[in-house]
Amino acid sequence: MRADIAGLGRLKGLVLTGAAALSVVAAGAFAQTPPPGAPPQSAPEGGPPSQFGPPPPPPLTEAQKLAASLPPPMPGGMPPLPPEPPGAPKPASDPRDLQGAWVHDQNLEFRMQNDMYGRPIPYTMEGAEVLARRVRSLNAGKPFINASSKCRPPGVEWQRDLNMPFQIFQSKDWIEFIFEEYHGRWRVLMNPDSAPAPAARDYMGRSVGHWDGSTLVVETTDMKQGVYLDTDGTPLSHDGKITSRIRKVDNGDGHPFLEIVSTFEDPRYYTHPWSVVRTFGWTPSLAVFHEYNCEEQIGDPSTPPDPGLIPEPQD
Amino acid sequence: MIVSKSHVLQALAGLLVWVAVGASAGAQPVPAPNLEGVWKIAKPQSSLRPIDGPIPFTTEGRKRFAANQRMKARGDFDDYDITTSRCSSPGTPRLMLTPERFKIWQRMGVVTFDFEWNQAIRQIDLRGLPPAPDFMGYALVPTMTGTSKGHWEGDTLVAVTTDISERTLLDDLTPHTDAMKVTEHLRLVGPDTLEDRITIDDPATFTRPWESVVAYRRQPAALFPEDVCLDRHDAHQPAIPSQ
Repeated sequence: MRADIAGLGRLKGLVLTGAAALSVVAAGAFAQTPPPGAPPQSAPEGGPPSQFGPPPPPPLTEAQKLAASLPPPMPGGMPPLPPEPPGAPKPASDPRDLQGAWVHDQNLEFRMQNDMYGRPIPYTMEGAEVLARRVRSLNAGKPFINASSKCRPPGVEWQRDLNMPFQIFQSKDWIEFIFEEYHGRWRVLMNPDSAPAPAARDYMGRSVGHWDGSTLVVETTDMKQGVYLDTDGTPLSHDGKITSRIRKVDNGDGHPFLEIVSTFEDPRYYTHPWSVVRTFGWTPSLAVFHEYNCEEQIGDPSTPPDPGLIPEPQD
Repeated sequence: MIVSKSHVLQALAGLLVWVAVGASAGAQPVPAPNLEGVWKIAKPQSSLRPIDGPIPFTTEGRKRFAANQRMKARGDFDDYDITTSRCSSPGTPRLMLTPERFKIWQRMGVVTFDFEWNQAIRQIDLRGLPPAPDFMGYALVPTMTGTSKGHWEGDTLVAVTTDISERTLLDDLTPHTDAMKVTEHLRLVGPDTLEDRITIDDPATFTRPWESVVAYRRQPAALFPEDVCLDRHDAHQPAIPSQ
């Protein structure tokens, strides 16, 4: 991950270098750099390729072309967050103390289309076909039954990404995330010996963490079933792995936040690991959660058991 | 729900006043009394009973209680007890009778009960904040756990809960209306014993307020296993396992 962050720094450096170059070059090739994933462009006729700007991205794979051909996702949004008043509790100064109330403070991404560097998601053809099946069924008004629709734990990524608050409680042996929605619990074992592995897999998988400096690194594996990484159904199989790198950031601007970089590894659906980054604002005013009681509705015999949703074909 | 601009501004302004309770504690536990820990009901019980005699039902209350008894005998649980039939939250105060463990956290002026049963929670707000903007209209609908406000009286946490949906029961049979007020006095009566004195006040169902006492024993620190009541439901197992 450090290498990735360093890579991001280099990328930004290249962009800045390119921008600076644009100020002195009348018509640099950088300004015509194609968007990520677009076919590479040939050098302008009659001249060599420009030396400015990043190299052209590799051409899309057939799987990525399939993903790119799907109708776009709904635009993201989020409800307004209340301002945190002066005098409200502050996060602990210890960078390894993550306790408190937090909420994803970016627009919800209904479908992840690019990684944190803007590169298209490295689907295998099987992964792209699963996504395409889900998006097409959703757009046809027949979304598939998934964990969320059945009031089951939806997995670490979706659980966190919802713009609903959670609280973190820490002890020596484990760190617990308690979410407003889905009766959500993300239990991170800092000492795996403190909790024996369950006889059967959990919906949320098994999460083991350690500190890398001031960054909490958590590896989540052994999920009971494949999960949707987002609302549209970007897939992760039950044998996939999520590595979450969590650090508390306080730039002194009065808006401390958690940064969580999630790296997904799943050779079934992706050709190589890829990552997204999210921020979670400090929101003590949301420490009292709204009630989540999905079961009242899903069990209502006066309504269809799976209103409007259909079973997903299995591969 | 119609939310006027002045209402929103008033509520936002109210947020600028942060009552001192717990505010200075940051993410750390509030000062003593400290009820934090893992707890479990000392004597499992499915019924909430007064400490001084039978439940003082009103005529209407007794009628509804008797109807619940008949539906239980017939197995028509969904007609009166959607916790048993659907895994809906038992609400306040029935959650305090669940036979599994629960954790208490005291952070940022909020006392959070983290139940092992179905990973349910209830929270008591000690911050004394004015209502936050309710853009989603949450306050229009009573909830199973209601709205709980609390404060300390010496070593005792006093919590008053209102707006509890009448789709919950006090226990496995006893009804109430959504006008009920539940007052709890929670305190340590020993280093490893927590007491919850629960007062039920619901004039439509009971002729007078009545009190019940439930005790809990401290348990070793533990990470609770994932618990999904609906999986038990689908496996035709009891929603609330007996222990």
